[in-house]
Amino acid sequence: MTDAIGALAVTAAGAWLAAAIAALAATRRIGLLASCLLSGLGGAAACTGGVLLAVHGAGPTLSLGTGTVGGAHFHLAPLAAPFIALLGLVAGAIALYCPRYHAPARGTAVYLGVYNLALLSSLALLIAANVVAFLVAWETMALLCYLMILRHHDRAGVADSAFLFIALSEVGFVLIVLAFAILATRTGSLDLATIAARASRVHAGWRSAAFLLALFGFAFKAGLVPFHIWLPAAHPVAPADGSAFLSGLIIKLGVYGVALFGFTLLPGGPAWWGLVTMGFGAISAVLGILYALMERDLKRFLAYSSIENVGIIVTALGAALTFTAYGQRAIGAFLLIVALYHTVNHGTYKTLLFLEAGVIEHTTGTRDLDRLGGLIRRLPRTAVIFLIGTVAIAALPPLNGFVSEWMLFQGLFQGFRISSHLVGILIVIAGALIALTGGLAINAFARAYGIPFLGMPRSGQAAHASESHQPVSGPALLAGACVFLGIGAPLVLTALDRVARATAGIDIHASLIVPQLGVIPAHTKFSEFSPTYLAAFMLAISAVPILIYLAGRPLARSRRPPVWDGGILAFRPRMQYTATTDANPIRVTFEPLYRPTVHVERASDDPAGRSGPVHYRFRVTPIFEKYLYRPVIRLVETLANLARPIQSGDVNLYLFYVFVVVVIAYAVYAS
Amino acid sequence: MAFWFYRGLRRGIATTRYPDKLDPWARALPSAPSFHSAHLTSELVDRLSEMCPAGALARVDRELVVDLGRCSACGRCLDAGGGAVQPSGEFLLASADRAALVKRVPIRGEARHGRQ
Amino acid sequence: MVANELQPRGDLGELSVELRRRALRLFGRSLHIRTVDTGSCAVCESEIRLLAAPHYDLHRLGFFFTPAPRHADLLMVTGPAVRAADNLLLKAYQATPDPKAVIAVGACALGGVYPEDALIHGAIDRVVPVDVFVPGCPPSPLALLQGLLVTVGRLEDRVTALSLDLDAEGAG
Repeated sequence: MTDAIGALAVTAAGAWLAAAIAALAATRRIGLLASCLLSGLGGAAACTGGVLLAVHGAGPTLSLGTGTVGGAHFHLAPLAAPFIALLGLVAGAIALYCPRYHAPARGTAVYLGVYNLALLSSLALLIAANVVAFLVAWETMALLCYLMILRHHDRAGVADSAFLFIALSEVGFVLIVLAFAILATRTGSLDLATIAARASRVHAGWRSAAFLLALFGFAFKAGLVPFHIWLPAAHPVAPADGSAFLSGLIIKLGVYGVALFGFTLLPGGPAWWGLVTMGFGAISAVLGILYALMERDLKRFLAYSSIENVGIIVTALGAALTFTAYGQRAIGAFLLIVALYHTVNHGTYKTLLFLEAGVIEHTTGTRDLDRLGGLIRRLPRTAVIFLIGTVAIAALPPLNGFVSEWMLFQGLFQGFRISSHLVGILIVIAGALIALTGGLAINAFARAYGIPFLGMPRSGQAAHASESHQPVSGPALLAGACVFLGIGAPLVLTALDRVARATAGIDIHASLIVPQLGVIPAHTKFSEFSPTYLAAFMLAISAVPILIYLAGRPLARSRRPPVWDGGILAFRPRMQYTATTDANPIRVTFEPLYRPTVHVERASDDPAGRSGPVHYRFRVTPIFEKYLYRPVIRLVETLANLARPIQSGDVNLYLFYVFVVVVIAYAVYAS
Repeated sequence: MAFWFYRGLRRGIATTRYPDKLDPWARALPSAPSFHSAHLTSELVDRLSEMCPAGALARVDRELVVDLGRCSACGRCLDAGGGAVQPSGEFLLASADRAALVKRVPIRGEARHGRQ
Repeated sequence: MVANELQPRGDLGELSVELRRRALRLFGRSLHIRTVDTGSCAVCESEIRLLAAPHYDLHRLGFFFTPAPRHADLLMVTGPAVRAADNLLLKAYQATPDPKAVIAVGACALGGVYPEDALIHGAIDRVVPVDVFVPGCPPSPLALLQGLLVTVGRLEDRVTALSLDLDAEGAG
């Protein structure tokens, strides 16, 4: 089995490398198809490998090269299994999506080459067994993603957004390097397994420093508040499958990093690590969804929603660390399973949503919710698939989002088992914030589905959209995966339990899945629910309204007049709710957070009806840019300006520097 | 309960007992005109038809055609008709048949005047 | 638009009238009324509004007002059928489910006061078929109650037997 897993990993890597090379021929249709085919094969291999790795519980070790700076060692650890499976699934779906989304061109060729190499480097990052391999893979992945975002570099705003992405990625990278450097020097090894084995002997202060640096460093990539500002900038400008890849997978790599440090490299940390992580996560979740509600651009909205979901995942991780630190290892393992499960779930449905957002953008020419409407008639298949993704992400039964959020709440509600009352209260607060997020998410996604798909088209572009030649199979695959992950949750959770067993060292299978396909949160008497039976029940119960309808149909022929509209002359699309107005209650309630600037302009002050159009402009104040980033940037610029005289350009001054250094070196080495 | 209390409650109910009983004040409500056909002349009828603001009165040959549907009970024909026009006291004029609201009153006054 | 074009009466003629009468009799003690104003001076509306007041209280007779034509059994139409209100009146008429009745209320609705011209039809029955006519300007709430009771067949109409000739044989 281990050999099979290894073979699959190598196959995936090879397929993606081949896909990158084949992409060079993507200026023609055949090259595009070949590249996508290979990419899809790699995806299938990776997905299968990930699943097998999770089920089997241990993976092989591979080596590339020896000696120099530690060489490149790869080890398929179970913790990476869900991420590898997700990588494979996302890659497969995007491979199905690409042929109809991209047109064969030189830009496409470069883009697909870069994308497949990014897949390869993500895989390398997930299976890296030593520090150098990890860091190289990480940086490569970041740079490749930067290039992916620059696909349409000639459009306005793209270069700035991409720069924001890479700048923040680099800052995070520096912190990650520092974290690894601390661990490597303190344990004297560059091999991750050895570091994990020796970490307990490192001084507690160094361990905490390493963990915090890693947490903050990976937070930049994961998109936790306040390091999230690159997400809403980069996602709209990247092509749809690029955004899907970013949101579906790349930000999960940040989560992987945190999990790696928290559970593999530095296990058994103090509770405050978990609390800080949980705080990060909960705040990101709430702020993410609150900012999402103010967005009119569909992709920016989805980007903020990704921030919200990563917040939820990180909250689960933090809670797992907290519970484990207080001796509740079963709940700790349960919450780790929840985090991994939600990672896979979110990867699936967010990728789906971004791919469909790409279809909407291509068919209607706009991402603005206030210019869309009535798409359920024009794009029926897209509407159905988007609906499945919406129901899943809004955590509605019986799909996967519901199961993972239920499990998260069940885990958090068991905070009373912790001996410290303060920590128990903090966990409850985190639970309350996540609950608020859940409610706001339903509001947000009802708006995100209702405004573009239902009602009347708000613009000519939306009225004439056509679904022909649009990709369907990729998103449909992901929709099927959502349904499977939800209804087949007992299966998926069994696999994740093996992962948790290998990572956290505790097997909670008996306290996780009960024989009747039920899921229980680590303690039998606490609660139980079966997603499979729930889905079957919902299907069965939907027969009731259908029967009532069939039985209640009138026997006599009936007249069907138009809908009663109060006798008005005609419905106009302008009479409908817009995305802006639909979120108004939230805007008013949370005004101290948004600090909006509102600008109202009338053509004249004539009495009502004759004053001409009224222009209303509403802008949310970007408090993080304004109060965190700008001051920091100003400080850096000030310091740089202070240091400028050193580099005056005067050759004599430079010679003086050389002289001083030589004198100092002489003095130091002479003594 | 004391009889006076009961009687007071009864008198105190302000709701009309219609359709069981019509209130006494209803007699003073504005109502459609009624005519003494013996005192009607063609000339009078023409004058009344001219002045009716609702167009309810018209003369057809030797008959005064009164469209009760159009009458607004303004009372001008009452004032101008001398004794020939009296309020009829009828204000409950609902009908399913529009034609039933058009009444004809023969003009008999002329014949009497005509004959010397 | 002329009334004939939208009659659900079809070729049944008298039979349809009888059918509607029977249906209306079924409404006897529970009739829901929706008022439609096609451009009246609103005095008829004042009298209609008084129907719900304690003095006249149409609820004790089993009549109720409803704002939704979908829930209505009866349309109480006032005004001289201004052409601009055609859309409104016809939509309300189509939205009211069968069996239904239409009462035209007031002298304007019956063709008085305002003759037909470019802006108005002049009478409601030029737009929708009318079942009961209630004259008056405005009709007293008592007259309105009589109109409603005549519609559901709880009262006979008085005007058929009425004679305006005070000097007729047999009168006086």
